[in-house]
Parts: sequence; structure tokens; C-alpha cells
Amino acid sequence: MKSRKLMLILPLFLLVLSLVIAPAFAQSPVIKIGILGPFTGPAASVGQEQLNWAKLAVADFNEATGWSVELVEADTQLDPAIAVTASESLIADADVYGVVGPAGSQEVSAVAQMFADASLAHISGSATDPALTAEGNTTFFRTVPTDAVQGPSDANFIYNVLGLTKLFVIDDQSSYAVGLADQAEEAFIAAGGEIIGRESVQQDDGDFSSLVTLIDASGAEAIFFPGQIASQGALIARQIVEQGSDLIFVGADGMQNVDDFITGSAGATEGAYVSSFAPDVRGVATSADIMNRYIEQYDDNFTSFGPPTYAATLVVLEAVQRAADSGNLSREAVRDEVAATNQELSVLGIPIAFDENGDVLGASFYMFQVVGDAFVLVPSGPEMMPEATPEATEEG
Amino acid sequence: MDAFLAQLPQQIINGLTLGAVYALIALGYSMVYGVLQMLNFAHGDVYMIGAFIGYGVMVALIPEGAPLITPVFIIILMLLVAMLGCGLLGVAIEQFAYRPLRNSPRLAPLISALGVSFFLQNAVQLTLTAEFRNYQTELLIPPGAGFDFGDTRLPMTRALVIVITIILMIVLQYLVRRTKLGKAMRAVAIDREAAAMMGVDVDRVIIATFFIGSALAGAAGVLTGIVFTRVWHFMGFTAGLKGFTAAVVGGIGNIPGAMLGGFLLGMTESFAVGFISPTYRDVIAFVVLVIVLLVRPRGLLGARIPQKV
Repeated sequence: MKSRKLMLILPLFLLVLSLVIAPAFAQSPVIKIGILGPFTGPAASVGQEQLNWAKLAVADFNEATGWSVELVEADTQLDPAIAVTASESLIADADVYGVVGPAGSQEVSAVAQMFADASLAHISGSATDPALTAEGNTTFFRTVPTDAVQGPSDANFIYNVLGLTKLFVIDDQSSYAVGLADQAEEAFIAAGGEIIGRESVQQDDGDFSSLVTLIDASGAEAIFFPGQIASQGALIARQIVEQGSDLIFVGADGMQNVDDFITGSAGATEGAYVSSFAPDVRGVATSADIMNRYIEQYDDNFTSFGPPTYAATLVVLEAVQRAADSGNLSREAVRDEVAATNQELSVLGIPIAFDENGDVLGASFYMFQVVGDAFVLVPSGPEMMPEATPEATEEG
Repeated sequence: MDAFLAQLPQQIINGLTLGAVYALIALGYSMVYGVLQMLNFAHGDVYMIGAFIGYGVMVALIPEGAPLITPVFIIILMLLVAMLGCGLLGVAIEQFAYRPLRNSPRLAPLISALGVSFFLQNAVQLTLTAEFRNYQTELLIPPGAGFDFGDTRLPMTRALVIVITIILMIVLQYLVRRTKLGKAMRAVAIDREAAAMMGVDVDRVIIATFFIGSALAGAAGVLTGIVFTRVWHFMGFTAGLKGFTAAVVGGIGNIPGAMLGGFLLGMTESFAVGFISPTYRDVIAFVVLVIVLLVRPRGLLGARIPQKV
């Protein structure tokens, strides 16, 4: 009998105890945000860089507000199936109010519905597939523009800024390259340019000399090759030089790889252009402080994959802060606050606000030129200085 | 027509370079088939290994961006080491993967060859990663070097590839036509058992065949590196397929046929890109080859193979 009484009393005691103690904890609630990225696996260098920028953003935020937000890491290895399990663990943690990532478009598409069901906002700093926001997700946002912006940006850059009117377009038969090439072609014709030819190569091709001969003889002034294999772009550039041609090479974000595209070309890509979904923050004066802190704490070898994740992390943190300030810290409230984001100046040098689909407003692709052993932001890009465009059009 | 004439000489140069590489690979296929009647599908990967050996020699001799010795010697050394390495690799492959199956049904060594091919690709990927490597050809041969004929340019690298290929072919022809080993090889190709009964050491001939064929693939790998610069673990797959095709078109088992087939394939691809459609390059090239085989089912120079009873 006694033991049965004890069994009744003990849980009751614990219940009362927890009711008494809980408010004491509630005064400093645990607030966490998650980050999904490929921290290991084939894209680990991208994932680690994004993680470091996110850590820096959390540290900056905590220092500015006196809060102690925790960053929960969930590794996706760039694999949609692993991203699903990683997302489940973040969704199951009730202290997580917002998530940064995932990094890749295929991962976002695998986990978006889970986050929508959990009303948990997630913001990617690198997923650029236009379809992701076209499906009408309510919880997915991104701080980078989509590839639907990239093709037309590249075409306008070639026509308006470089003043070239005859373009030869090559794709590598990947859905990424074909889509970009189609959009660029359309925009280039709309701008008034002429497409001299459009051809496909294969991703395992090891020689483009016949193609370069053909293009050189076709009267085209530039090649637009939005391929995924940067070293193929480098070989095309090499063979342009080898044949004594003066064709100008323009690539897309797949080419932005220093080892394969610049070092691997032995100088042949000098002066070539590539587009990227983020500016080089090295050229953004207002971000110098953040960049210096990053270089000090991590390394100075960062790419354009990192800073958009810093921006995404800050969007989540500020939404959490606004929700908490209004006295209603919940996942739904944070999601609404993310949607209402209105940053006047982000680390990317541009304001951040989202349209109703979660795409960042007014973001554009940026053109880089190979100078020495680096990609240098082209300052007169049409999107960077919109007022310069009409003038350039007249010249072209 | 003007566009055609403007491109023609350059496309011939492009086609000859590509064809030289195909021909060197085709030779190995053809020689092994001639002696053993088996398709050595690991041959493309031996070529890949050759490209990597050449790359290793180059990196070792150009440590800080400045060649240690005269570039000419570096190129010769790259070729020799790669040919020796690939030759030994070919002999080892024969020893471990094909010899135990020599008297098995003909499908068995074919499967074994595919296994060797996967093994080599994965071994390179695991040890050297899947990254693309680039030959630093520009440090050996100045990028601007070459011969100008009006608007047409024969770069020094391409001239080198074509010349070295022709030298290797002449040496090979001499070896097969004028030496005792060559005579033994031809004897084994015609009838292995009869050759053995006449006192030919068949095993030795087969080893020599694998060594020479693989060494030529190694040379092809280095020449590819010199002229096209990129090397990676999967490069042998497509190249092997093209080399095999060239061997069949030329008449598999026939050495001059393999050379002819290689140059024909390279030239066809180059002309398909330049004058018809780059996108349909492979389709056009293979249609031409199918037509060749329809007209000459045994290949261009293929001899009537006596049926063994």
C-alpha cells in the first residue's frame, strides 16, 4: 500500500516542482536557429564557408543585442535524402524558430513541404532554381536571385555593356545550361542582337578546337557558354588563344571556379567574363567591417557562396527578434516577420525584401572579369549602375 | 562556300590531331584482338593512366613553375615513362585478368576487362580525387609557337602530336614487319596452335603484344595531355570507345587499318562539327562509319579471316 501511495505522490510532486521552476527558465528562453548545408561530402568547401558566415552572423547579432541565440548545424551532404532527415531533426526541436538553407536547389525541393507543414521559415543563400518559388511555398525564402534573372542579365551585359551584337551560344546539355542558354538567347534577340549560332557540347568532351574554328569563321564576336564544368570553359578559352582568334568568352556561375577556370587555363581566360548570383563583398565598402571580421576569424579565401548566407542568417535572426519584441515568439510569427523583412542595406550592398513568393526583390546577377588570378567585379555592370544602361545602348 | 574554304585547312589540322590520338588507341585494341580475338575494354583506362603518369613526370620536373631541364627532354621523358608504365600495366592486366580466362568462353575475359576498367577508374578517383588536372604545356612549348599559313595556324603542340604519332607508327610497322618478334606475332594472329607447334613461345608473344599496345595508349595519353591539357579519371571511357570504333572501321586486327580508322574518325568528327552540326557530331560520325561498314563489312583494310574449325 505504501509503495503505491508513493508512486502517486512522486509524480504529483514532480509536476508541482516543474510548475514552480519552469517560469524561472522562461525568463531566458532558449532560442535556436538551424542551418542546413553540405558540411561534409562533395560540396563541403561550399558548406563550410556558408557555415562560417552563418556563425559570424549569429555572433554579430548576439553581440549587438546581448542575446544568446544558438546555431544548430544539420549536415545535408548535398543529398536530398539526407537533407530530409536533417530537416526532421530541426523541425522536431521546438526551440528552433527559423532555419538557414538548404544550400542546393534539389535539397530545397525535397524539404520545402516539411517546413511548410511545420510553419518554419527557411532561407537559402544559394538555391537559384526558379521553380522553387514558383510553386507557391509560404515558408521558403532566398537572398539570391533565380536563374530566370541570370540569362537575361548576361545577355544584356553582352549587348549593352560590352557593346557586342553577334553572339554564339553553346550549352552542355545539362538542364541548368540549356535553360540559361535559352533565356539568354531570347533576351539577346529582344535587345536587338543577333544569335549567330546555338550548339550543344557534352560534359565529357575533351576537345573543342573544331567548334572554335567554326565559331571564329562564323563572324560571331563572343561565345556565351553557361556550362557546369569550369575546366571545359577554360579549354575553350585556351583553344581560342591557340587559334589566334579574338572571340570574347562569357560564362555563367558554373564557371566561377578559380582552380579550374583561371589557374587551369594558364592565362587563356584572362579578360573573360562570368556571372554570379552575388556581388563580391570585397567591392562593397559598407561591408568592409564584416568582411574583415570574417577574414580575421576564418580565412580570406571566401567565394560568392558565403555572404548571401550571412544575409540569410541575419534575416532569420532579426525576424526572431521582431517576433519576440511583439511578445509572440512562435514559428508562425517568425515566418510572418521574415516575409515582412525590410533591410535597408545588407552585407551584399543591396536592400533585402521579399516578394510574395519569397524571392528577394531587386536582386540581380553580377558580372565578373578574370584579372590576374581572381574574378573582379565589373563596376559598370548594367544592374550595378542602372543609369549607365541607356547611354551604353546608344553606343552599342 | 567561302566559309567552307576559310575553315577547311584549320579543320584538317584539328581532325589530324584528334585522329592521331584515336589511331594510337585503336592500335592497342587492334593488336590485342589480332592475337587473342578478345576486346580489351580496359584499354581506354590504360590510356587514362598514361595521361596521369605523364602529368606526374611533368609536375615532378616543373616544381616551381620553371622547368628543371630542357623542355624537350621533359617531353621525351614524359612519353618514355608513361609508355613504360602503361606497358607494364598492360602486361599485369593480362597476367591477372585475362590469362586465367584464356580458355574460358569468350564472354568471360570481356567481363573481366570491364572489371579492370572500373577498377582503374575508381583507383584513380580514390587516390587522386575526381578533380580535373591540367598539363602545364605552356611551360614546355610557348603557347604562341607554331607555323602560320595565311589565316591557318598549325600550333607547335599539334605539329608535335602528329609527328610523334607518325614516328611511333613507323617504328611499330618496322617491328611487326621486319623483326623476329613481329613475325611471331603475325604467326600467333593467324593460328595460335600452329604457331605454338612451330616453336613460337605464345605466352611471350602475348605479353609483348600487350606491352606494345598499352605503351602506345600511354603515349596517346601524354599527347592528349600536351595538346588538350585536361586529364581526369573518366577520360578513358569516351576515348576508349572512339579508339575501338576506329579499330573496327579500319578492320580490327589490322595494324595499318587501325591507323587509317583513327585518322578517318578524327577527320569525320572535325568536319561534322565544322561543316554540318556540332551538336550532332557523334551522330554524323557514326553514320559515316556505319556506311563504311555496310560497304566493307570487315573494315577498310580488314582481311578475310580464315574460319578456324
